[in-house]
Amino acid sequence: MSEETAAHTTAGSEASGLFIRGLWEDNAIFRQLLGMCPTLAVTGALQPALTMGLATTFVLLCSNMVVSSMRSLLVGHLRILMFTLTIATFVTIADLILQAFVPTMSETLGPYVPLIIVNCLIIGRAEACASRKPLISSISDALGMGIGFTAGLCVLGIVREILADGALWGIPVMPDAFVNWNVMKLPAGAFLTLGILLGISNHFFRKK
Amino acid sequence: MGKRPMSYKKENILIVNFFKQSWLVMTAALVFGLLLAVVHGALNEKIEEQARQKIALKMAALFGEGAQTEMIMNDKGEAAQPLTAMVDSTQVSRFYKVMDSEGSLQGYACIAEDSGYADKIKMLIAVDPSMESMLGYAVLKSNETPGFGDKIMKEPFLGQFNNCPIDQKLIVEKTGETEKKDHVIVAITGATVSSEAVTNIVNKAIKAIRENVKPKK
Repeated sequence: MSEETAAHTTAGSEASGLFIRGLWEDNAIFRQLLGMCPTLAVTGALQPALTMGLATTFVLLCSNMVVSSMRSLLVGHLRILMFTLTIATFVTIADLILQAFVPTMSETLGPYVPLIIVNCLIIGRAEACASRKPLISSISDALGMGIGFTAGLCVLGIVREILADGALWGIPVMPDAFVNWNVMKLPAGAFLTLGILLGISNHFFRKK
Repeated sequence: MGKRPMSYKKENILIVNFFKQSWLVMTAALVFGLLLAVVHGALNEKIEEQARQKIALKMAALFGEGAQTEMIMNDKGEAAQPLTAMVDSTQVSRFYKVMDSEGSLQGYACIAEDSGYADKIKMLIAVDPSMESMLGYAVLKSNETPGFGDKIMKEPFLGQFNNCPIDQKLIVEKTGETEKKDHVIVAITGATVSSEAVTNIVNKAIKAIRENVKPKK
């Protein structure tokens, strides 16, 4: 991971800097390749991808807030335990909320909601940012990283849903003559889409 | 710790040190536990309501609108629990008696669960009052391969079970007429395992209903 923002920046510009970094420069999916499990597993369509992205953002935001508030109390060797405990709590809450309000999505995502606990993005941000920076910076970092992650998932979801079902958000968008690419629904389609999108994003970064 | 002189207070120092290091973890565990209890308490009713609604929706699809369902309980009087059964590896968690809005018997249903191709398949199986033919099934939970196994939730595979006779065990064959209503179920191309799993659950569920619920002629 790249060096944290230089110390001379003020708190406000540090926060906005962290927010922007998460969106694009340090994007969890396309730049850091974190959280590959949900990236490959739940992006078969836009709806589950968006739900997963929002759930992850919620957990990331809550865990960053809690970890940042208790950062002065953290003891070196017990900090990972504290991170995991915090993340697990909020993942369980997110899981319950999904079950109560969007049961169909909760079923589609299945075990991948509890698996947010082991999403490296969240524990990575707790370690690299929230345990070192003040609350405001941690919140904007969580929002930037979370929205960047959600956007990445949605891009994959859009590409795969259009090619696999000829639809978007369940609404047909392709002409009738379009033949569905069944492979895009399967894991192979996830790898293909991710690989091509990674190639494209690398191309743009190299140009700079 | 190593530099401290060994003294008779060694145990005390250890205990103090233990609490110094772990108080945050213990406090956090307690606070998070309470938080989870509160959230669970607040949402539990809603989650159960969602599950009930889902079953009601599938019941309406199988038995028609306005169907009244009644869960069959075991005969333990006051402490009656929903009747359950186990046929081989198929677990039947609920039995229902279904009436129409006027109260005449429409049939029986049960919720059965067993292994599919990728994960367990949970289904609602409905039979007519005489238990001579099946009304159909609905998938409550499955994780079959998209594009292949998930066709168990779609026509024409699904339709083969509607009103099919169940005087003998249903069997799966790879080719045949899906239109014909008989005990031969034509497998989904490329998803033989899913097709067999569904048929197996249906067979076991029918057996469970026959053994546990008395038919009314």
